[in-house]
Amino acid sequence: MFDRVDAFVRDIREIECEAELEAALADVCGEMGFSFFALTHHVDMRQASQPAVRLHNYPEGWEEYFEDQKLGRSDPVHRASQLTTVGFAWSRLPRMIHLTPRDRQVLDAAGDRGIGDGFTIPAHVPGEVNGSCSFATAAGQALPDEHLGLAQLVGAFAFEAARNLVRMRQLDLAELPRLTDRQRDCVMWAARGKSDWEISRILGVSRDTVIEHLRHARDRYGVGKRTQLTVQALFDGTISFADVMRR
Amino acid sequence: MVLVVERPHRPLASQALVRMFEARKRVFVDLLKWDVPVLDGRYEMDEFDDTHAVYLILLGDQGEHLASARLLETCRPHILGDLFPSLCAAEPPRAPAILEITRFCLDPSQSSAQRLRSRNRLVSALVDYALGRGIATYTGVAEMGWLQQILAFGWRCRPLGIPRLINGKMLGALSIDVGPDTPALLACAGIHEPVALASMPEREAA
Repeated sequence: MFDRVDAFVRDIREIECEAELEAALADVCGEMGFSFFALTHHVDMRQASQPAVRLHNYPEGWEEYFEDQKLGRSDPVHRASQLTTVGFAWSRLPRMIHLTPRDRQVLDAAGDRGIGDGFTIPAHVPGEVNGSCSFATAAGQALPDEHLGLAQLVGAFAFEAARNLVRMRQLDLAELPRLTDRQRDCVMWAARGKSDWEISRILGVSRDTVIEHLRHARDRYGVGKRTQLTVQALFDGTISFADVMRR
Repeated sequence: MVLVVERPHRPLASQALVRMFEARKRVFVDLLKWDVPVLDGRYEMDEFDDTHAVYLILLGDQGEHLASARLLETCRPHILGDLFPSLCAAEPPRAPAILEITRFCLDPSQSSAQRLRSRNRLVSALVDYALGRGIATYTGVAEMGWLQQILAFGWRCRPLGIPRLINGKMLGALSIDVGPDTPALLACAGIHEPVALASMPEREAA
């Protein structure tokens, strides 16, 4: 079966569009004993600020439900996948995150639409929105335990192939908000709760300069408030939690 | 600048090596909690840090350690071939033109933006070193999270086998082909940041 993954890796090197990747994933997904796959960045696709990808073969109607409920970021599987770098079975969700009543509704809704148990491979690339690749069985069918290692590998390589496609598409897109080093430093200290004056002392510049840097940074993101700015910068990886939480 | 230290006669032959072994202790032992030996309470050093190892060390303007990696000959004892052969579906690759990348280390004293920059420069240096020395392939063992990042560098990777849970960590083995087009692939992925390679002076290495 490793040969199959090896072939998949070679195949997806040549792909040029999302439909080809989707077809390759559908094939290998079936051969590993799953019925469904979903490869996605964890964003609300209808208003994503970064180029993002979502490929899946979930049953009719699921994507609409997913978008209507704005699950891109709050989906329990996506939330759990932020906590780990290793693939996990959905049956482990209650031990990974606190499942709210709404989370349980989402999981039930998936079951109602014919989606069974699943296995999700997280994909975290520093400086980018997180994503994942999931494989799921049809309702009532058990996970193919013997192929979870393979699924892990397929997920990792498929996600990278999807990033490549996004990159190819991105060449036509406008520049993403990008901060200068100085603006970034100011945003990082702001996220750590420092005032303009404190930031000016730390960086050895005037308070007015700090205010200017933060104003320009807000302009680049098109947001009006300091909190929105720091959240956006954390979300797209301009600053990291490690920067903010460091003592 | 990236200092290239090939087959040092002594492990602590220069300041750069001393700082690298100290940084490795901070990263792999203190932060990542790997179960690897520590010498003198300061240096992370194992049986593969011998007179056959090659080190690429990215130094800052003041000679401080920013990033480093260790390269092992695959015809001699190395991590994939001797510690984790079960990660390979076939025999672990061994050839003079195949080196194993180990102990890829980003100094934790940097901000995450600086770490990414150092990472890019070290990856670019690894490619330049391979091209200059006729190395066609790198192999490596990585935890899954790191493996995903290695794929994202844009160079051409192949899995060597199915990932396995070993001592509580999901590990996978990769092979990375390096050729004349690899710098362009890194550039496409926004990773390519070429940096001058310098060999360690003989008298320091002696």
